[in-house]
Amino acid sequence: MPPPLRLNAVAFISPQNHPILIRTFQKGDELKYHYVAHTSLDVIEERISGDSKSTECYLGLLYAMDDVAAYGYITPLKVKIVIALALTDSVVRDAEVISAFKALHMAFYHAVSNPFLKLDAATNSGNDQYPYLLVGGSKWKSFRQRVDEISKALGNVTST
Amino acid sequence: MNSYPPELLSQLAPVMFVAGLDAPTSTSTPPAPPTPQSATHPHTPSSAPPTPSKSQDSFAQLASRLRDALQSQRKPTIWAPERTKTFHIILVDKAIRFPPRKLVPPEDPQFSNAHSPLSPLTPSSPLYPDGLIAPIWIRKHTALVPSVFVLFLRLFEVPPINPRSPLDPPDVEHERERGEEERRRDAELSAEIAQRKKSTNERGIKLTVVLLASRRMLDDPSLDGRLTFIRRQSGLDSRAALFVLSPVSSSELNDFVRSLQDALYEPALEYYTTHSKRVRRKRNRHSQAVSSYNPVHNPLAAPNIPRPLRPEGWTVRYEYKMACFAEFRGEDEVALKHYQDAYATLLIMFGSTAILPPRTKRWAEAKVLADTINVKISKLYLYNNEHALALSHHNSHMRRFADFSRGWGIGEETFEYWSWMARQHRVLAELLEQGSRTTLTFPTHLPVPRPASVGTPLELDAVRALGLNPSHALQHPGHYYYMAARCTEVRRERFLAGESMAQGAPAAPGYANEEKVDHLTIILELYTKSYELFKKYSSPASQGRLTLWIACRIAHTYYESGKFDMAVRFFERIAKTYRREKWGTMLRPLLGTWYACAQKLGDIDMTVKLLIEMIGYGDTDEPGTLQEDLLAVLRSSVPSKPDEPLMVDLKESEPLLDTTMLFWKSEVRVGEDAAFQLSLIAPTNTVISSLPIDSITVRFTEEYAPVIIQHTPASTQDRVRLVQVGRLEHEDEDMEIEADLRLKPGDRLIVSGTMSSEIPRLLKVSSVTIELKEGDWTIEVPQEPCAAREGSSLAPRWLSSLNPVNFLPMGRGDHSSLSIRHRPHELSVSFTHPEPALLDEEYPIMIEITNTDERELDIIVDVLLQPTEIDIAVQHIIFDGQQSSGLIKGIHFGVVAPGVTALKTLYLVSGGAPGDRTIDVSVQSSSTTNDPSRSRSTSPASPAGPLSRDVSETLQTLVIPTLSALEVVYDVGYRRALGKRAELADLLRYEEEGIDDGTGGDSEAVVTARVTCGGPWGLEIESLNLIRQEVGGAKVLECFSEEGDNNMFPGEYLPGDEFCDMFRVSIAPDEDQGLNGGVVPGPGKYEIIWRSRILPGGDRGPLTSTHFALPPLLPPRDELIALLSVPSTAKLHAPIPMELTIRNQHPSRSANIEVQLALDPLDGFVVAGLRSGHIPVLLPGGEEKLVWRLIPIECGYVRVPGIKVMDRRRSGAEQEAEGDLVKVVDVRLDWRRGTEDTRLVAEGAEAEGGASPAEQVGLGTVLVLP
Repeated sequence: MPPPLRLNAVAFISPQNHPILIRTFQKGDELKYHYVAHTSLDVIEERISGDSKSTECYLGLLYAMDDVAAYGYITPLKVKIVIALALTDSVVRDAEVISAFKALHMAFYHAVSNPFLKLDAATNSGNDQYPYLLVGGSKWKSFRQRVDEISKALGNVTST
Repeated sequence: MNSYPPELLSQLAPVMFVAGLDAPTSTSTPPAPPTPQSATHPHTPSSAPPTPSKSQDSFAQLASRLRDALQSQRKPTIWAPERTKTFHIILVDKAIRFPPRKLVPPEDPQFSNAHSPLSPLTPSSPLYPDGLIAPIWIRKHTALVPSVFVLFLRLFEVPPINPRSPLDPPDVEHERERGEEERRRDAELSAEIAQRKKSTNERGIKLTVVLLASRRMLDDPSLDGRLTFIRRQSGLDSRAALFVLSPVSSSELNDFVRSLQDALYEPALEYYTTHSKRVRRKRNRHSQAVSSYNPVHNPLAAPNIPRPLRPEGWTVRYEYKMACFAEFRGEDEVALKHYQDAYATLLIMFGSTAILPPRTKRWAEAKVLADTINVKISKLYLYNNEHALALSHHNSHMRRFADFSRGWGIGEETFEYWSWMARQHRVLAELLEQGSRTTLTFPTHLPVPRPASVGTPLELDAVRALGLNPSHALQHPGHYYYMAARCTEVRRERFLAGESMAQGAPAAPGYANEEKVDHLTIILELYTKSYELFKKYSSPASQGRLTLWIACRIAHTYYESGKFDMAVRFFERIAKTYRREKWGTMLRPLLGTWYACAQKLGDIDMTVKLLIEMIGYGDTDEPGTLQEDLLAVLRSSVPSKPDEPLMVDLKESEPLLDTTMLFWKSEVRVGEDAAFQLSLIAPTNTVISSLPIDSITVRFTEEYAPVIIQHTPASTQDRVRLVQVGRLEHEDEDMEIEADLRLKPGDRLIVSGTMSSEIPRLLKVSSVTIELKEGDWTIEVPQEPCAAREGSSLAPRWLSSLNPVNFLPMGRGDHSSLSIRHRPHELSVSFTHPEPALLDEEYPIMIEITNTDERELDIIVDVLLQPTEIDIAVQHIIFDGQQSSGLIKGIHFGVVAPGVTALKTLYLVSGGAPGDRTIDVSVQSSSTTNDPSRSRSTSPASPAGPLSRDVSETLQTLVIPTLSALEVVYDVGYRRALGKRAELADLLRYEEEGIDDGTGGDSEAVVTARVTCGGPWGLEIESLNLIRQEVGGAKVLECFSEEGDNNMFPGEYLPGDEFCDMFRVSIAPDEDQGLNGGVVPGPGKYEIIWRSRILPGGDRGPLTSTHFALPPLLPPRDELIALLSVPSTAKLHAPIPMELTIRNQHPSRSANIEVQLALDPLDGFVVAGLRSGHIPVLLPGGEEKLVWRLIPIECGYVRVPGIKVMDRRRSGAEQEAEGDLVKVVDVRLDWRRGTEDTRLVAEGAEAEGGASPAEQVGLGTVLVLP
């Protein structure tokens, strides 16, 4: 039985490749995970450009570097989710990663469907990114909380 | 890799020594078989055979080619997975000696107990007493001892003697001499070979001799004999031991080299197998002897007495040797197995400090050995594409030794540890890089598609399908170079930390060496390699973010190493992408380092630029420090170019001030004022309150003068400040206003005013430039006009009141731009036409366009007559001389001045059927006044969109109900014609004008036409004409309206008025029409010319003619008919004629007619004539007339005597007495409707079969007067 996933960081990246939310669960290493998220985009773009018709959201292991393995996921609306797992010498089950990704996707989906996000925004604004970038902003806490909960839930498996 | 002995890493291959191909240093002394005695150089020139110079050249060339071919066979490399039978070929001197097997000569009695000079048991060995294995051992097998020895020798050839004449007899004497000479030379050759054979045999090395001979010699019959002699004499093997080669081309030489290797590969394998067997024997013997062996060398001895090698050590040694021999043989699996065994035993040895005390020479050697065995194992796995196993081994190697290192006191806190880690990563990277040049490919790690059906049994790939171990996922070597660089960075850190701690204290071991290491250069080298590999392996579409990340590390390294200019160059490039992708979190530290570089470089301009950009990105940690830094820099320095303002372009970066532009409306008309508010908002995540903002310039698109807000300190500082600028006009002078520009976080400065334009255009803010002034510095900071920094949302809000501050949210998306459009043209378009329209008339529609605008307008009208859905309707329009059934385009109404009305009449002519007609009218107007936008449209800058063209269009749709003015109802009746018909054989029947006189027709139609005036108003009917038309089978005989002047026309008829006409048609359907169901087309039409009575203004309309076709005629058909004709009146006792005409109108049958007069005593007539009788057979089309005379004997209405006409023919034999009754018709009462289906008769509801049997009885009466 492989050990449970250890989630070091989660990154949500908008379809235009701007960061939405980068949540790090390790103190003092925030910058590193920003870089991980940013560099992951390269691999993600390479993967999705190869097979544009694929409807598969899960992109698998993007790369392993330092002590981190980056896994990628792309939602149908091209929001990219990258998680950074602590690199351990054990098999990471795709099914587990996928379920983590799905939970994160749902968290994002719930957060972004909050109608109050658009309260301040001009209606029919041409800027598609608007709610995406806002949802990770400091004003809206629920998204962070959800992501943190998912991370905790993954971590809780350790204690049981 | 360079840090390890190459012997321990490179791929081993069988070794072949090649001798006898000396370089052409011996041109003066050509290669010749040396005498057996003189085994050493130089050869005695005397023994050189007198070879001719030409062949000598060719042999020298052959030797040189051979050297090239042999040496190009294989280069010693680390990565060589292909298993072709290729030797590692070494050119040696002919007289080379092998290293001694043992120290003592074989003759010595101690020989059998002695060991190899490299054995740990040999005191003079470098391994004595406890070394494991040394690179020199491998070097012995790769460089000093071959598995195969190939000796190239010249076969002696007597120079050919040119016979003086071909006829000369062979010189017997010479032949004999030659034979002897050859034999002597061959014997010498054999002796030399035997000498060499002896030395190779000692070591079990295969000796092969290649004799070089001229091509001529190959054909010599004596060759075989000589070769056999040489082989026997020298004791060569029978197989693959003697070759003969003559000078050949390079390609043939390559074939030779190839076949030479193929032939010798087997013996080479045997050679190494023998070695393996020997080692295995020793290992087995040793492992059995362990129990007795071990206590003898108990390590209780004094520490300075070296302890001999432990049994584990021997195992490592033997396993390693066997692995090497297997590798020589190319048996990768066997080699892998032995290497693993050796490695496992090595780990056991490392596990105990008693066996391998740390930081000793043997320990260091063993570590190198372990590292290199690890590389070999990984490599062998990779050969087999077992990436995960390779990486797994490599990782566990690093992990194990990391654990060991902690025990040895060189844990993570020491630079040695990181140096070793870096070396491991680097070795792997180099191995992969080498591999990737040939066979190694890297997997993509794409997730395996989920199996569609869950029920399928998991198979071999099950493990992979579940997931993969990320640390076992092979990546391209760039990743591992990167790791090596990272480790080296830590190594440097540790070293520096250790250095600072060990100030003054005696340096730890290895410090002296470490001090010499230029860490940064190594880091740079590693990063650069990684960068190149990342670039190489990135897909062409990639944005290169990974490479940028490496570049970022490189830049940092440059910064660390003090090469600030290099670092700055990297930063410039990297920042570009990060800015574009808005990754501020990564940009902030980058800018920080860049700023530090700029400070170090003393580049004030760059420092200032970076500080301003950094202020834009915000300093959440210590708000305000950046602006203080900036102020300090500005105060303490002067600009490099004091005359020019310093431009700091923040268009791609975060703005200093968030700005929004709001227009109250999104669209206004030309000349109308549009209210706007421009908000400048100080960011909340940074402090800019003391930035020396001197002015803010707001520029608009188009040629509006910019608004310049000058800083003036104000006494009160409101959070929201409103500045009124009034009305901005086109091409005014610069608008300067004043406001306090020291903004605290969150402060808003709102510039409010109105704008207008005389030209249609799109108005926007094109740029916002902030100007800072401090001392000699003037810094201009242009930024994006409507930009909000990352994360902050600027809801568009309109300041509605200042006290209290109140905002209105703006719901529009396009609040930041204003489009100005032309005023629409004021036109009144009216249509005058009295509804409804009547069919066939030219119905006038008056289009009246009045210009109610102030501008002159050029008006063009398009008219489209919509297709109608009514059946049989025809229609067209006439407009301005053009006629069309659809569209009439571009009717020019001309330029209409203000207040003027233009009129044109459109005519609609609709025919066919009444119903609604639809007309679309489009009125397009364009302004003709000297439009500024027109003149401007020539300049390329002005937008040439629809906005700038002053054109407007009005669309109107007219629906015109149409009625028919006149309606005609025909009433048709048919009579049988009594006229004299032409005889059957009469030629007249066959002429066109056969019925010209109207007498020849079968029947007659009497048609009454009733014309009703429809429409809402009266008509003036000018005339009614029956226009005859030539129609076969029918002819108008007479017409009522033609009979003289009846004063009916012209006349005015009111709606509902009716008038009639009547005409008679003679019908003689020809055969075609007979087949056609008997329908005869109407032989003409009525033309009614009329005009509509009223027009607006009382005018009468134009004459209109309406045509009505005569109805088609469908006379009832008789077959056999008897027509009775009697006068209607008679005088008592005066005889009258009674005629009976019997016609056979059947198309094909003849008739046999019997006529009987049924006299009744009550009859009021006395009849003279035939009472009963037959008439001759009536042919089809024939007729017969019978005449009686009747004398009335009573007064009053007297019935005509009954006549019975029988057609006997049909009745046949059975009913001889009877026959078919033939109908007798009194022609005076003959009036019939058309046949049953006379639907074409107008109002033919009462159409009935005229030939009802009742008519038989209905013979008329005759009024007899006294």
